[in-house]
Amino acid sequence: MPKVKRSRKPPPDGWELIEPTLDELDQKMREAETESHEGKRIVEALWPIFRIHHQRSRYIFDLFYKRKAISRELYDYCLKENIADKNLIAKWKKPGYENLCCLRCIQTRDTNFATNCVCRVPKTKLEEGKIVECVNCGCRGCSG
Amino acid sequence: MATSKGANTYNRQNWEDSDFPTLCQTCLGDNPYIRMMKDKYGMECKVCERPFTVFRWCPGARMRFKKTEVCQTCAKLRNICQTCLLDLEYGLPTQVRDAALKVHESMPKSDVNKEFYTQNMEREIANSDGTTAVGPYAGGGKSQNSHEMLMKLARTAPYYKRNRPHVCSFWVKGECKRGEECPYRHEKPTDPDDPLSDQNIRDRYYGINDPVAEKLMSRYSTLPKLEPPEDKSVCTLYVGNLGEDEITETDLRNYFYQFGELRAVSLVIRQQCAFIQFTTRAAAEEAVEKTFNKLVMHGRRLNIKWGKSPGQTADGGGNLVDTGPALPPCESLLCLCISVASSLFQLFLLLLASWTTSACTLLPWQVCPCRDHCLPLPLWRHWLLLQDVSKPDKCSHQFCISCFLQPFGCHPLPLG
Repeated sequence: MPKVKRSRKPPPDGWELIEPTLDELDQKMREAETESHEGKRIVEALWPIFRIHHQRSRYIFDLFYKRKAISRELYDYCLKENIADKNLIAKWKKPGYENLCCLRCIQTRDTNFATNCVCRVPKTKLEEGKIVECVNCGCRGCSG
Repeated sequence: MATSKGANTYNRQNWEDSDFPTLCQTCLGDNPYIRMMKDKYGMECKVCERPFTVFRWCPGARMRFKKTEVCQTCAKLRNICQTCLLDLEYGLPTQVRDAALKVHESMPKSDVNKEFYTQNMEREIANSDGTTAVGPYAGGGKSQNSHEMLMKLARTAPYYKRNRPHVCSFWVKGECKRGEECPYRHEKPTDPDDPLSDQNIRDRYYGINDPVAEKLMSRYSTLPKLEPPEDKSVCTLYVGNLGEDEITETDLRNYFYQFGELRAVSLVIRQQCAFIQFTTRAAAEEAVEKTFNKLVMHGRRLNIKWGKSPGQTADGGGNLVDTGPALPPCESLLCLCISVASSLFQLFLLLLASWTTSACTLLPWQVCPCRDHCLPLPLWRHWLLLQDVSKPDKCSHQFCISCFLQPFGCHPLPLG
């Protein structure tokens, strides 16, 4: 969370280019936090938080690894300031986990039979016409 | 009731801890590989209110999770599934089963009596070897007649529809927002005025006021019966739904021979039906009584009806070969020949058997008896019972004549 300024150092070059997008995402996160839980299921309450968190990490990840638009310094700064989730990004670098939705969905210790979340099952392996919406983060399938 | 396990162990009520649930085929679902969750002392039994080990599992794709509802002692006492409370053998409600078997048991329903009863029964179950029934069903209490009623009402295959998810209560109110993802059923709920929608688990367990049982009993009392025709000369049965090349004339002959001598069996392959003519009216009537709505051959339920009397055959009786009661019983002649031949064989084999010194009846030149192509029981006449004369109760193998005449499967070697 970039709420608390931990370092007094000024942000590296290029920060002014990504700042508006990050502010916008921050605003969305605020809205999701204050949104009412009325009419939602218990598990549904946290889904928007997970989604925006994923979106923000993805933005930084794409800028550095896919589009190569930001410098190494700026990327490291974002990780250090917890703007992007470095654990999630570490998973995205592994084959098969390129689109992973959240870290809870691959935490096998939290399930009864030590399995991954249903959203980790490839679409081809699922039975025909089955619509998946996982309990942890509302992911509809993040594995091919 | 003791609600916790204290330090005092004197006469303490047992909490049940089990390794495996007692379940019926339907509740287990169609998947042979099941993962179950076990929760030791997870809930209290809905009948005896003692804590017991709860099992929870999913009985197949698109089914709801099920769990055990009553403890194993309660289930064993009534021989029912721990989840659906239906009889393990017949899949019927206890009320129907008890009415058919004529078991009148009175299980105590008040608190202390119930505790005492459960305690006694648990001790009895622990002392038994686990293969025989304990409690009110100990004697078996089966009569042939009631057994028939159970067989008629019982399901022949598991009924997996019972494991489907419940109807979505939000959808019923028109408020379900989950749409396609909703794991509950979006269907019209059953009518609340329907007596079947008001069921109580304890009543179902004790077998009182069970609406399902009442429905089944009323269905049994209104089951169709086949009235024998007025014309006393009709000895012919119509057998329908034979299928293509599945049931042969031999099958029919073998099966219906148990009710009496057959005069003729004619198979109409094109219409997948057959006509079976008995020599006597009594045999035909018995055959109808024993087979109507009951006969299943090669997995097909056969359709049994009376044949038309000779006067009626003109108006659409089909290929009915009904030539009146004057015909000589041709079948019985053949049987006579066979039985004479068989008795000769028997004599011969008994002689052989007396020669051998082995404990078993297997003669030294014989391979295993042909259990695989056993003929059905009514053909016992064609069979030889071969027994060691010195130890008649040791073992008895059956050989059929056809095996000696045209051996296949097992080859008795030539005598030379």
